[in-house]
Parts: sequence; C-alpha cells; structure tokens
Amino acid sequence: MEGSVLVIGGGVAGLQASLSLANQGIHVHIVEKAPYVGGVMAQLDKTFPTMNCCICILEPKMIECYRHPNIEVHTLSEVVDVDGSKGRFAVRVVQRPRHVDPSRCTRCGTCVEICPATVPDDFQTGFESRKAVYIPFPQAVPYAPSIDEGACNHFKGGGCRACEKACPVDAIRLEEGVRVSTLNASSIIIATGFQQYDPTEMGEYGYNRYENVITSLEFERLISPYGPTGGELERPSDGKLAKRVAFVQCVGSRSHREGVGVPYCSGICCMYTAKEAVTVKEKYPSSEIYVFYIDVKAFGRDYQGLVNRARDELGVDYIRGKPGEIRENPITKDLYVWYENTDTGEIGRKEVDMAILSAAVLPRFENVRLAGALGVDLDEFGFFRVEDPFLGPLETTREGIYVCGCSHGPRDISDSVTEASAVALKAVSDIRIATGGRGG
Amino acid sequence: MKYAFYPGCTVQTEQFGYEASVREVLPRIGVELVDMEGTSCCGFPAFSSVYPSAWYYLSARNMAIAEGLRLDLFPLCNGCHMSFAETKHHLEVNPRTRDSINKDLKKEGLTYTGSVRIVHILEILHDIVGVDTIGASVIRPIKGLKFATHPGCHAIRGGELKHTDDPENPQKLDDLMRALGSDVMDYPEKTDCCGSSLAIASGKTTLLIAGEKLQSVRKFGFDGLVTVCPFCFKVFDNRQRAIQAAMGDRSLEVPVFYYTQLLGLAMGLGPEKLGLDLNLSPIDFVLEKVLEG
Repeated sequence: MEGSVLVIGGGVAGLQASLSLANQGIHVHIVEKAPYVGGVMAQLDKTFPTMNCCICILEPKMIECYRHPNIEVHTLSEVVDVDGSKGRFAVRVVQRPRHVDPSRCTRCGTCVEICPATVPDDFQTGFESRKAVYIPFPQAVPYAPSIDEGACNHFKGGGCRACEKACPVDAIRLEEGVRVSTLNASSIIIATGFQQYDPTEMGEYGYNRYENVITSLEFERLISPYGPTGGELERPSDGKLAKRVAFVQCVGSRSHREGVGVPYCSGICCMYTAKEAVTVKEKYPSSEIYVFYIDVKAFGRDYQGLVNRARDELGVDYIRGKPGEIRENPITKDLYVWYENTDTGEIGRKEVDMAILSAAVLPRFENVRLAGALGVDLDEFGFFRVEDPFLGPLETTREGIYVCGCSHGPRDISDSVTEASAVALKAVSDIRIATGGRGG
Repeated sequence: MKYAFYPGCTVQTEQFGYEASVREVLPRIGVELVDMEGTSCCGFPAFSSVYPSAWYYLSARNMAIAEGLRLDLFPLCNGCHMSFAETKHHLEVNPRTRDSINKDLKKEGLTYTGSVRIVHILEILHDIVGVDTIGASVIRPIKGLKFATHPGCHAIRGGELKHTDDPENPQKLDDLMRALGSDVMDYPEKTDCCGSSLAIASGKTTLLIAGEKLQSVRKFGFDGLVTVCPFCFKVFDNRQRAIQAAMGDRSLEVPVFYYTQLLGLAMGLGPEKLGLDLNLSPIDFVLEKVLEG
C-alpha cells in the first residue's frame, strides 16, 4: 500500500494507532517529543479494573513499534509546520540531538556512571535524581542513553567531556546538532496525551508545603516495583511506611472557583483511586484507607465491581465529602484531613500518614504550539477540538488530521486504545481514497 | 512613611498596651502616625449583616477623612481594617452606593473618592518597612524562645479582596518574629479562629474555640503566642482565666503578646513603655528571659 501516516505522540494511544496501521502494511512515522516512547502509561503501576501491570502490557507494544519494519520512530522530535492537505501532507519535523549513537552503544552504562551532573528524575516524579546522560527506566525504548542538554555540564558551558572520554565504543556525539526533515503523510494522528494538574495553588491541601501530601501520579511511582522505594509505600518525610492513607478526589477538576483548576470532570480519577486503594490494601492488609469523594463515577464494564471490592470486601472507607483542609503536625509530619461527611452531616477529622491528591487531567501545554503548527483548533481548555462529537468524534477541524486518547479530553487507557484503533481506520480510508481505491 | 492612624474602638477603650507599644516603636523604624480628627466607628464588620448601608457609610466617612489628609489609612484593628478594605471594594464595584453615601458626606463637607489606600500593620512592617530594617533595629534579640503566630482571620480572610497575607499559609508574622531572633514554627491550628466573633452569641463557645487553640500552642511546645489583632488578644490574653475554667484546665497558661510589644523589647525599650503591665496572661517568664538576654 502506498502513503504514510504520521502519528504525534508515542504513548499508549500513539503506539496502538501505529501498530494497527503498520500491521496492515501502512508505513508510519511516530514523532515523539521525549527521548523514549511509552508516555504516561509507562509511569503507572497497574491498570484498572483488571489490576494488570502497566509496563508488562505496554512494553511489548513499545518494542514492537520500535522494531516494526513499517514504523519509523522519531524520538526527541516535534512537528513545527504542516503543508499540503489530506492525502499529501508535508510535515516539517525538528529533531533534537540524542548525543548518543544507539547503533554503536552497547548499553554498558559507563557514561551514566561517570557523568558528574545530577538533576531531579522527572520519570520518578522527582523522588530520585538522575544523571544528565541517562536511561529513564529499565524498559525504556529505545534502550540507549540520551544526554539532557539542560542538565549537562558540557552544554551549560563547562566543557565537560567525561562521558565521551569514558565511552569504550565511541558512541557519544556531543557535536551532534538539530536535524530538520520533511516527512510525507497522507494523514496525521494526534496522540499527545495529557499532563497532571499541579495542586500547589489549592493552598488548603498543602501540596508542595507538606511533604506527605503527594499527587496520584507521584503515588504511582512510590508503589511501582521499579520506583524509588522498590514499591514500598514509604512516605517522603521520613521513609515511614504509610499505613493510614487518605485519597482526595476531584482536586482541581469540577472546580467552581474562578481561576483555580478546571470545570470539567477528569473521568479517570474515581477508578484509578479505587485501584490505588485496592493496591495498598492488598499489599498492607492492616492499613486504614480513606477515599474522600463527591460522587463515584464508575461507568465502565467491571468498574463498579472494583469500587465495590475496595469498599465492601477490603474495607476501604469511602467518605462522601470533599475535604476542606489538610493540616500538618509540624513534629511528626502526620496529616489531619478535615471534612464534612455529606451523608451524615458530621464534621470530622482523620489523622493520616499520607494524603494523595487525585489531581485533574489537563491538556498538554504544548498543544497550543502544536495546534498552530497543524492549523487545527483547540477547545476552551486546550484540548484538540473535534469536528462533531457524534458524527466526527475523532476528526479535528482540518481534514485528514485526527485525534485519539487524552489529546482531546480525559480518557482512560482502554478508551484511548479503542480510539487509537478506530482512528487507524480513518487513516486507512484516506490512503485508499488517495490511491484511487487500489490500496490494501 | 506617614499614615492617617486609626486605632479603632477596641484599642482606644481597652487595649491600651497595643496603642502604647505601636506609638512607641513605629516612629523608631520611620513610620509617622498622624492622628485623625472627627473619626467615628469603623462600621463594625458584624454590623454589615443587619444594616449594610450604615456600615458602608460609617466606613466611608472615616476613609473620607483620611483622603482629606491626603494620607493612606492605617487602622490598628483587624476588624476596622476589614471594614475599610471591604467597603472600599464594594464602593468600587457599586458606584451608585458611593454616590448616595457622598450625598450624606457632603453635609459635613466630606467626599469619598476611593483614592485612599488601606494598609494593615503586617503590610507596614513586612512589606513597607521590611524585615531587614526591623532586624537592624534589634539590640536585644528574643533568643531561645519559640512563638506561635496568630495573624487573625480578618487580616487574611480569603475572597475577592487583595489579602494582607496568604490566607492558607500566612507567613509574614513568622518572618517578622524571625527578625527579632525568635524561633517560629507552623502548627496545625495556626489559621484557626480565636472565637471572638461568637462572643456575643455564645460566650462559652468562644472560650472553647480559643481553648483548643491554646492547647495546641502548649502541645507543640511554644513559649508564647503573638498576634496583631486586638480582638484575638482580648480573647487569648484578657480572657485566659475564663478559657481555663471553660476547658476545665487551670494549667492552660500561655503568655500572649502583641507583636509591637515584642518588637519594643527587642529594640531595648522597657516593659513600662510597651504596656506590658496590662497583659493579663502569665508573661513574666518570657519577660525575664528577654530582659536577661
């Protein structure tokens, strides 16, 4: 079959769309901003409602994409401009240098060991630090280090060449520069995913002020077997095992406050919180878990079952009420969660070791620039706007450019994957039309 | 720095120690206080729920006097500060109310334009004079003592108004205490109410609310409580014996100070100049410790 499809974003949605296309013999370009594919899902511990290991599901897709004869993965790359129209887009892509030649690198790790520059590890949500030359996680694809120019002493003007000197196979490329290329595609699929709301502005919860108040994404790293604590729920202030845990729902989402948070529902928090509560309770059966919620939105198949299991079988205490405030004991660093139980009308206080905020799903900030480059519209929140939620739910405002996953609103993994498969069909149709029905 | 000084009724009728210490210390850090002629009640925040237009009128009247002096207005009481700040905001967004108030003010030859700025003592000390200048005025640091800060709700209350400090995480009074050499620490009940707004409706509730706060101050090992609000001081200091009775705990003793009293001590002034003999809480231990250095 002739023609290519360009997929922006190498998270689970982008990977799924790419595989669906590539397995039909269609050539795919994946343009991923990070040095690795995997997206947010690679940071998550388990799926819901099935409680499967995320990376165990994602990793085969990552590798399959990277090795697929019909897929070219462009890491460290961003789309800057698009010419043409459906059937014959010319996409300008800027690729930042990796500074390590993956074809020579033997993954010996000498460069990482010798690198003197240390920065907070964003993959581990800042719980750990990493070197300027690094591989973010053991399953990273491509499995080769990259050099973070913002962290590296060489690029900050220090003239450091420690990794280059140490590399036994001469794979370091400090002089490598930016590459601009033009890729041809008959259609474009946007799969840029989401980012999590920073709850610092909601001062009443003390995020960034109290060490033991963390976000749900940070929790995912803490409970992950390849996270900073090896999967033990050790709280940040003192490493004490957190046996009393409060989950706070709707932090920043469904907000009525002007200028604070977003008005829409983030869709996924009720379920990932049930999953997280079950994970803690299964790991530490004697722990006390509280879930503070406005209402539980468990709309998918088996979703309510997971909530019921958490609440009825495992004894997770679901309290209907959004906490008004979290306070900290300055000496023990334990937290007091103040709330009104709206079922009983009682005002209460729970003392916990740790509080986890289900912070809102936000559009990626880069969407603004990308929408400009693609010539498509965003909605009032910064998600990609679809032509019509019923008649063209995956079609953007420009013909031949499609969306899937969280790029156009909050979605869970299974919905993202479903949409990714569906959007692949749109792209196939475009190619058939472009090739006069000869394709396939 | 020159301000139209408005002590407010609570300070003028009973909280003499606050006024004495303020008049003693502020000029020493370059703040000139100009007394206002012909002022009235600030309007009193609680009055706003029964007769808002009277509240706005009284409040605007005092602000008009300050405008006549071409000075920014410095109310010493948190409650007065809130009256002025809220009225100023209300009259900004409701010009018709402002016009009708001005008709009444005209009878006295006054006009309220809205040009006056309302400044709180925390702003004067922390934002305008600055922590460094205050630190430089210290010759007898308050060392080895740990104070719980209580800025008072009216000064930091949330809403559309520009706050004196972060309502969720007030830190200015803490910064000011550190400038005196004192230790400070956050405590969970820091932003809790002193209870005084319930004093008329349910005096016992006031005492229990205040008592819980004092218990927390004791629990976390503080040597004393410091505030900038005369209402809060009145409850925590003047009513401390009643709090002890209400809580059934005679040992619930916490030394309570106005910030300006501690600033004066740190500047080397004698207790008699700062109205410290008027504090009813057991301050002697702290006082001795400060005076001995």
